[in-house]
Amino acid sequence: MIVLSCPNCGPRNVAEFRYGGEVHPRPPVPEAVSDEAWIDFIYMRANKAGRRPEWWYHRNGCGLWFLAERDTTTNTILSTYLPGQGERHDA
Amino acid sequence: MTPDAPFDFVFAGRVYRAQPGDTIASALARNGVRVLSRSFKYHRPRGLMCGAGHCPNCLVQVGDEPNVRACMRPVVPEMIVEPQNAWPSLGFDLMAVTGWLERFLPVGFYYKAFIRPRRLWPLFERFLRRAAGLGRVNLTTPPGEYVKQYLHTDVVVIGGGRSGLRAAIAAAGAGADVALFDENPTLGGRLNYSGSATAAAERAALLAQVAALPNLQCYTQATVLGWFEDHWLPVRQGNRLWKVRAKAVIVATGAYEQPLLFSNNDLPGIMLAGAVRRLLHQHGVKPGERAVIVTNHDEGPDVAAELLAAGVTVAALADGRHPTPDAAGLPTIPIFWGHTVVRAEGRAGLRRVQLAPLTVDGRPGAPLQTIPCDLLVIAAGSTPANGLLYQAGARIAYHDETGQFVVEELPPGVFATGRVTGWQADDAAEVGRQAAAFAMGRDGMRTVPARGAHSLPAPCYRPTPGKAFVCLCEDVTAKDIAMAVAEGFNSLELVKRYATVTMGPCQGKMCAVASIRLTAAATGRSPAATGVTTARPPLTPVPLGVLAGQTMEPLRRTPVDAWHRRHGARMMVAGLWQRPEHYGDPPAEVKAVREAVGLIDVSTLGKLRLTGPGVPAFLDRLYTTRLGDLPSGRVRYGLMCNDEGVILDDGVTARLDEQEWYITTTTGNAEAIYEWMQWWAQAGWGEGVHITDVTDDFAAFNLAGPQARAVLQALTTADVGNAAFPYLHVRQLELAGVPCRVLRIGFTGELSYEIHCPAGFGPYLWEAILAAGAGFGIRPFGVEAQRVLRLEKAHLLIGQDTDAMTDPLSAGMAWAVKFDKPDFLGRRSLLRVQAQGLRQRLVGFEVLTPGVTPEEGLQIVQPNGNGRPTIIGWVTSSRYSPTLGKAIGLCWLPAELAAKPGTPFTIHRTEGPVQARVHHGPFYDPTGARLRS
Repeated sequence: MIVLSCPNCGPRNVAEFRYGGEVHPRPPVPEAVSDEAWIDFIYMRANKAGRRPEWWYHRNGCGLWFLAERDTTTNTILSTYLPGQGERHDA
Repeated sequence: MTPDAPFDFVFAGRVYRAQPGDTIASALARNGVRVLSRSFKYHRPRGLMCGAGHCPNCLVQVGDEPNVRACMRPVVPEMIVEPQNAWPSLGFDLMAVTGWLERFLPVGFYYKAFIRPRRLWPLFERFLRRAAGLGRVNLTTPPGEYVKQYLHTDVVVIGGGRSGLRAAIAAAGAGADVALFDENPTLGGRLNYSGSATAAAERAALLAQVAALPNLQCYTQATVLGWFEDHWLPVRQGNRLWKVRAKAVIVATGAYEQPLLFSNNDLPGIMLAGAVRRLLHQHGVKPGERAVIVTNHDEGPDVAAELLAAGVTVAALADGRHPTPDAAGLPTIPIFWGHTVVRAEGRAGLRRVQLAPLTVDGRPGAPLQTIPCDLLVIAAGSTPANGLLYQAGARIAYHDETGQFVVEELPPGVFATGRVTGWQADDAAEVGRQAAAFAMGRDGMRTVPARGAHSLPAPCYRPTPGKAFVCLCEDVTAKDIAMAVAEGFNSLELVKRYATVTMGPCQGKMCAVASIRLTAAATGRSPAATGVTTARPPLTPVPLGVLAGQTMEPLRRTPVDAWHRRHGARMMVAGLWQRPEHYGDPPAEVKAVREAVGLIDVSTLGKLRLTGPGVPAFLDRLYTTRLGDLPSGRVRYGLMCNDEGVILDDGVTARLDEQEWYITTTTGNAEAIYEWMQWWAQAGWGEGVHITDVTDDFAAFNLAGPQARAVLQALTTADVGNAAFPYLHVRQLELAGVPCRVLRIGFTGELSYEIHCPAGFGPYLWEAILAAGAGFGIRPFGVEAQRVLRLEKAHLLIGQDTDAMTDPLSAGMAWAVKFDKPDFLGRRSLLRVQAQGLRQRLVGFEVLTPGVTPEEGLQIVQPNGNGRPTIIGWVTSSRYSPTLGKAIGLCWLPAELAAKPGTPFTIHRTEGPVQARVHHGPFYDPTGARLRS
């Protein structure tokens, strides 16, 4: 079980968190995109090998949704940070 | 608890006397018992061999506990120990006939034998069932007390031998918090039984240092089961599972002594040097009367001297080496230089061994000497106990020249010292300091262990003909491995799976190296090129109870739970909640609601408080219904979808005032919807929105029935008349002196009030309402009655009538999707559904076949002429309606079939087909007049 560092609460067992999936922005105006693009948004994920940002939720903690940069090839968390903010907290 | 005088215990039905400090195995050796078990396949007699908890030979049953390692478990007074895998008895095992049938049970026999003739399978099965498995599980055993406990520390040291203790002392001395785990009952590893005064003094000195360090905690009989990411270690200690998180780990697990391959190498009386020394020095037991020692290093002569000192006759020492210059200092016993053992003989125990000279290529020559003996001591090297290092991702190489596995590189935070590294390097204290520095955030990362000479590997003598057992767990011989390779299983992982070598209780501790070397020899590759099998947790077998632990499932009870139980409620599980299913008579409960008044505890509903100026826009984006324009004092139904257009949840939203909303969710989705709302709020839509989960803060009751208003009025001075408090309004009222928020809604289809009060007032208010309703025929009702009531109104239940594919249009809830709102979750996908048209629809049905209420989940079928009807739909809800006097339900049907009320269809039921017909809208009070009355 890996350790994840919540930007509010600090390092905790990953079992305290819920995985929210890779960062995958919703089209701001859904009606403006094609059916294909919309289906891509709903069902398709890049599932990239290597570093990628993803959502995590501190379910058994402060209730914060935050972002973590994780290397999927080594399962190491490189940093965690709040959405929309450039601040990065070393994991 | 440790007895201080001799005491009795029972093995295989006979009473034996044990000494204080004995393990089961040492007590039996003390009493001259040599056969401890029968082997897995051939039911050969097996005795104490490794003495270190590694091999399968001494697995016994203690009471109801199977597969206890007799050499590790302290014996206690009155203990009842039974041998395993022997029938009818250990001395006379009928299943040993399998040994005679050997040629019918070749390697991989279970893939080949017992297949034909098929009609004989029941016979084969009876035989195999008795033959298979180890130990006996008593299904009526009361569950034990299992505990899980967290442990956080800076440094974990695994292994309490000389290296582990020194590393732990150094790490603790450097200021780190240290936890040391050792699977043995006593710390000190080989210092416990090496027989020398200097070793005993060193052990005492180390233990004194341990005792003086308050930041060093030692755990004995504690086995580390595996290594997981970020140094997360499960540790079994008896019935306790420690869940350990360390910042750095020092692996000092030492090495496994290895047996040699020769004919009948499994006879009782053949022991590894460690077992012999433990018996001699830890327990004061003579392991035999006449010993032969086979060795290839200095431990052999040492053991010879120790046996002589204990009064054992040493008949011979066979040393694979050639004479060493200091041979003069050796005890005066017959020494055969350059010899090894090629064959052992005896039936229930060792009688004699044959020695032969080793040829240049390591192949034993023709037997030269036959030496009578009852003990053969194997002191022939070891292999590092490096399973944890493999799991942690260490790079470990096999050196073909020395035959040893050596650690080449370690991952960050993982350290190793002692024989586990495969190197002889005296660096334990240095490793301890480095691990402490790493754990405390200073540098000190070291990824390459100190090197020296390779530690003593097991020699690579070629096996001799006959039954030379590689794997004692599964009775796999050297010949079996060669045959497996010959049959085409020519890689190590294939050999493992086919021959089952390394797959038994010892998990390769005794056989991994030998199987690598034999596979290499048979395939013509080098052992280094042959590789190793993957090391996976658990490293040693672990009882499932330890992994399961005690029941930690939280249980949620409503504030009125005790009242329900006192009044005969039959409780049911709803998620984590306990709810009354009914109070003994569900139809009467339905009747009370329809004709008088009923009261149900709905405290399990999810309850959210939303505040802030951003809430109207936020709700309009999250719900398909329109909620943004909800005025103060009003209540509205809300339906929620995700962006796929799938229904997530429903509930009601009450606007308490300009800046505060009170929202309920279904019982099962409360937490998920809170997370969902938090996500959208925190991910960008939450400006001016604050969400609080108040589920536990409020008790909630639904007061329903034609007399509900009369009961409510009896509890308050406020005017609750239909004009003052109309349908779909919310009022803050004081009921029986309790501040309440009351929502006038109608899931049951009757005039009803959902009363929410602070949880602490729940029990009082519940009883106050029942008291007020006594004159009106009030009755508490449970979930079952509520399900009937809502079905009579054809209200769907999220999760019961819908699944992870259900969109609101197909579910007949187009009215709840406001396409004229701007963007909301699900809008884009639901527009597509609308454009493409519906395929399946959720509709009501009434049953035409008299006397039948079809079970939920039954399939709806259409005959198609060939006798095999096509499945076209399924029943999601079904109940007998006491109000209507017939069975009704909800089902999924093809849209064209569902379109017209009255369309007949057939439900498939084992007892015979059930006829039903489509029904649109509520079955009861279709205009909803009763809700508004």
